Amino acid sequence: MELDYQFLIKTFFLILKGIPTTLKITAISLVLASPLAFGMALAKIYDIKYLKKIVVVYVSFMRGTPIVLQILVVYSLLPSLLNVIVKQLGLKIDVFAFNPIMYAYIIFTLSSAAILSEVFRAALLGVKHGQLEAGLSIGMSHVQTYIRIIIPQALVIALPSLCNATVNLIKNTSLAFIMSVQDITAIGKIQASYGYNYIESYADVFVVYIVVCTLIQLLFNIAEKYCGTFRQRLKT
Amino acid sequence: MLKITNIHKKFNNDEVLKGIDVTVEQGDVVVILGRSGSGKTTLLRCINFLEKADRGYMEFAGYSIDFSNVAHSQINAIRKKTAFVFQNYNLFNNKNVLENVTEGLIIGRGMEKKQAIEIAKKALDKVGLSDRYDYYPSQLSGGQQQRVGIARAIAVSPEVILLDEPTSALDPELVGEVLTVLKRLAKEGMTMVVVTHEMQFAKEVASHVIFMEGGVIVEEGTPKDIFSNPKEERTRKFLQRILPEAEYII
Repeated sequence: MELDYQFLIKTFFLILKGIPTTLKITAISLVLASPLAFGMALAKIYDIKYLKKIVVVYVSFMRGTPIVLQILVVYSLLPSLLNVIVKQLGLKIDVFAFNPIMYAYIIFTLSSAAILSEVFRAALLGVKHGQLEAGLSIGMSHVQTYIRIIIPQALVIALPSLCNATVNLIKNTSLAFIMSVQDITAIGKIQASYGYNYIESYADVFVVYIVVCTLIQLLFNIAEKYCGTFRQRLKT
Repeated sequence: MLKITNIHKKFNNDEVLKGIDVTVEQGDVVVILGRSGSGKTTLLRCINFLEKADRGYMEFAGYSIDFSNVAHSQINAIRKKTAFVFQNYNLFNNKNVLENVTEGLIIGRGMEKKQAIEIAKKALDKVGLSDRYDYYPSQLSGGQQQRVGIARAIAVSPEVILLDEPTSALDPELVGEVLTVLKRLAKEGMTMVVVTHEMQFAKEVASHVIFMEGGVIVEEGTPKDIFSNPKEERTRKFLQRILPEAEYII
């Protein structure tokens, strides 16, 4: 079997155009999921009635179901559901004309929130509780101590797991092709199907994901070094 | 200046404080002794609400507080007039030495940065750390960390400093440097309530010694009363166990 090198190169550049979409879904989902996840982590740590139980059920539900299934459920049920609501309210919005990327944002936000909530919870618990008491004892409020003392340290602890979560999310967004979102994988698949050049196309997709994920990991390494200066041991 | 009456505290069904009265006068160094589990740390933590007492009363800095019904504003006010030194230092690990001390001034009290730095430097000089401003806690020895903890406490010019076993987590050779700082503070007239196992320190520095057991005060008095002439059998037993040279003193 001969590889079609011309196709390989041409497709590679086409696939590159999917990177912004992939990164957009990743970034927006992470940004939207973070505050949700932080709230859920606090609800668990501070053992807030009812809310904690809801969070426990939610997290185990999201973690316990395959993301493909979540996509299928949301993508096939949500539009019809929205349509009914919109019609009931007498609004003139065509629900089915929504850009499918919207549903990608919703699904990946909801599933990331569940994963990040556990990342944040572990990180917050990793900061010694005494520092909160110390903050209170010198007249700082809970919120002030959290913002200035606890969260900056928790973030450094969380970075390796956060990196994991981000890279996993990037890879999971490939499933967005089910919703006909034109991300890296979708473009590769479409190109491949024109002339049955599956091997070339998938090889391109493969390389693009490796490069993107490696760059993300590098960024996280730099962030960890930068944010963790206080962890240095002895000054030389 | 600080008067606690009939303070009670339960953890689940375990009554840790069973009605304790404590009076601290301006400039006093009150030392609280007792076995672990006797409630001495809890008592200290209840004073600035790190632990919430169930009932009892406190008069302090012009405030009359009913522990069973405390307003949030009262808690804040009391915390701004007290400072706490922790057994495990509890320094802010993401802040350097100077920032550890300025944090309470700038953020807690809204002081201007320049003035806060000036006060913080003075406090750090007092504990002998003028050459460590930009070090992080992870770069300091236990004794140095605890001295930062003390500087952080005195910088906010509290009316009373509460010290919870300030030397218990230190290696024996580092205990001295911390005690020296505390002695100097006592001499300058700083009001302190100290939970400690350092008997020599208690004997030398305390103006008043309280011996607690099982959530009540067994005996209290001057260091001389307690160490040379304890009236209660339980106090005597405790001192014998903790002081190897007890027979020479009693």
